[in-house]
Amino acid sequence: MGKSKNIWSILACVIIFGFWHFFSLLYGNNKLPSPVSVYKGLIEIAVIGLPPGNILWGHLFASLYRVLVGFFVASAIAIPLGLLMGFIEWVRALLNPIVETLRPIPPLAWVPLAILWMGIGNPSAIFIIGLGTFFPVLLNTISGVENTPETLVETAYTLGAKQSDVVVKVIFPGAFPAIFTGLRIGLDIGWMTLVAAEFTGIRSGYGLGYMIMVARDLQRADQIMAGMVVIGLLGYIFDFTWRQLEKRVLQWR
Amino acid sequence: MENIFLKPGKWQKSNLKFKLARSRNYLFVPVIFLTFMLIFFVSSCTKEKSFPEKIRLGYLQSDIHQLPAFVALEQGFFKSEGLNVEVAGVFPSGPEEMSAFASGDLDVGYVGISPFITARANGKIQAVAVAQCNAEGSALVVAKKEPVSSVPDLKGKTVAIPGHATVQDILLRRLFLNNKIDLKQVNIIVLKPPEMIGALQTGQIDAFLAWEPYPSKAVGGQIGRVLTRSGQIWPGHPCCVLVVQEKLLKERPQVVDALVRAHSKAIKFIREKPEEAIKIGQKYTGMDEEIIQNALSNVKYDYFPDSVAAEEYVNLIKNLGYISVQNEKQFAQDMFYLKFVEQIKQN
Repeated sequence: MGKSKNIWSILACVIIFGFWHFFSLLYGNNKLPSPVSVYKGLIEIAVIGLPPGNILWGHLFASLYRVLVGFFVASAIAIPLGLLMGFIEWVRALLNPIVETLRPIPPLAWVPLAILWMGIGNPSAIFIIGLGTFFPVLLNTISGVENTPETLVETAYTLGAKQSDVVVKVIFPGAFPAIFTGLRIGLDIGWMTLVAAEFTGIRSGYGLGYMIMVARDLQRADQIMAGMVVIGLLGYIFDFTWRQLEKRVLQWR
Repeated sequence: MENIFLKPGKWQKSNLKFKLARSRNYLFVPVIFLTFMLIFFVSSCTKEKSFPEKIRLGYLQSDIHQLPAFVALEQGFFKSEGLNVEVAGVFPSGPEEMSAFASGDLDVGYVGISPFITARANGKIQAVAVAQCNAEGSALVVAKKEPVSSVPDLKGKTVAIPGHATVQDILLRRLFLNNKIDLKQVNIIVLKPPEMIGALQTGQIDAFLAWEPYPSKAVGGQIGRVLTRSGQIWPGHPCCVLVVQEKLLKERPQVVDALVRAHSKAIKFIREKPEEAIKIGQKYTGMDEEIIQNALSNVKYDYFPDSVAAEEYVNLIKNLGYISVQNEKQFAQDMFYLKFVEQIKQN
């Protein structure tokens, strides 16, 4: 089964690259750079840099740092808040309207305010990424708590458990799979907001989103796509790792 | 029944009678014909001056360098040349405008020479510059409180530019080169001009290099002071140009000719009636009269480009690693099509 799955994945890649190359020939390399041009553009960023001097690894680590810090900070706030909102009704009644109003606002809309509040540089970029991560984690935590079977909670109480025990030993483990899914989606969205977060005012001159902006300034479609490929691959690696982790951590399920 | 074909004499006779009867009418035929010819000639003459197809124009937001575009639109210079110009895009920076050019959404555009060179050299656009818009017109502004009195004092400071491969990027690097300052000693960051003044005010940046009227606005608002004008960094440096799609030039050169004439009229208007031009500048930038007046004193409007300086530009951009061009001289020659401005200059 595993082998045949791999064959299908490889076949899908071949087909995608084939179509990509075909459309590149059709529309011209300047509008849709071919896979080979994108690869060459990527090598150029790795060796010469974009802008020249700022090489790929610097961009990669700068973005990794922003995404991971944004993710951890947002999760550290969203999980406890989600548990509270799921467990205590009046907290949920109080915060739900605020959450539901803020949730649909795209992170890009926060960029000017983020710069105004936190200035140019990492804090505002991390804030934007954190915003993207925050809501999926929060909502999944709430729904995880909500979906914990009531009988389990009641049984715990009947057996003489305290409220804190119920939260720590019943509700949190019960909500854990949903929280884990929320974290995975949150991390994905964190990567998706990266370009918006690095859209303006990057102090260090490093970041994958910033790199794409520079490529646009220099009218290099191949390097824009190279930046997209790097972000896509990183997102894929993170997602894959997270799923493996999920399998191990949630083995009891 | 009489068969006229069997009796040619009679037929000829009657026909002759017919001809004679119509002969007076026949005099009118050439007259009518000539009248039609005349109408056709006149209409074709006016047609030559009128181009009904829409010409899609792009320019940069609140950039006083592009005042000729605003003047030509407001004073109806495009219309009087028979052009049906439609504003198809207003862009926050040159690279974005060049992307719209690449996608074929614009026919003509006012843009900085640097994004134009970069887009052309990297094969993104098939366009040529048919006239210059202005020379000089940018300034390096430092925060008012900042104890910076000369360029070397900028070492260790944060300086903002509107983007990579913009005219201001090239100017800043040339300034540091002239003053023998290593680029690593200065933190150069990218900010869009409207954000620069706020960032300077809150101390997030120490200086910025931007196009007018932003330097004049920072000075007018008591936020910054001009450390050096771009004319001092590089006297007479080329700045914005009027760019057209090569396809338009090839297929309808008379349209481009009319466009260049309207553009040169607008520049003449700015020189001759600066007060009226300032009012138009105010309308398009939303800034005060005093700011626009100060800004204009820093800009040189001239439709004829300096090709030697343009070639130097290409060299600088190439040395920065932004483009790779085999023959800079040839490239600099090919990026201009100056037949129409030369004609205007001769007249």
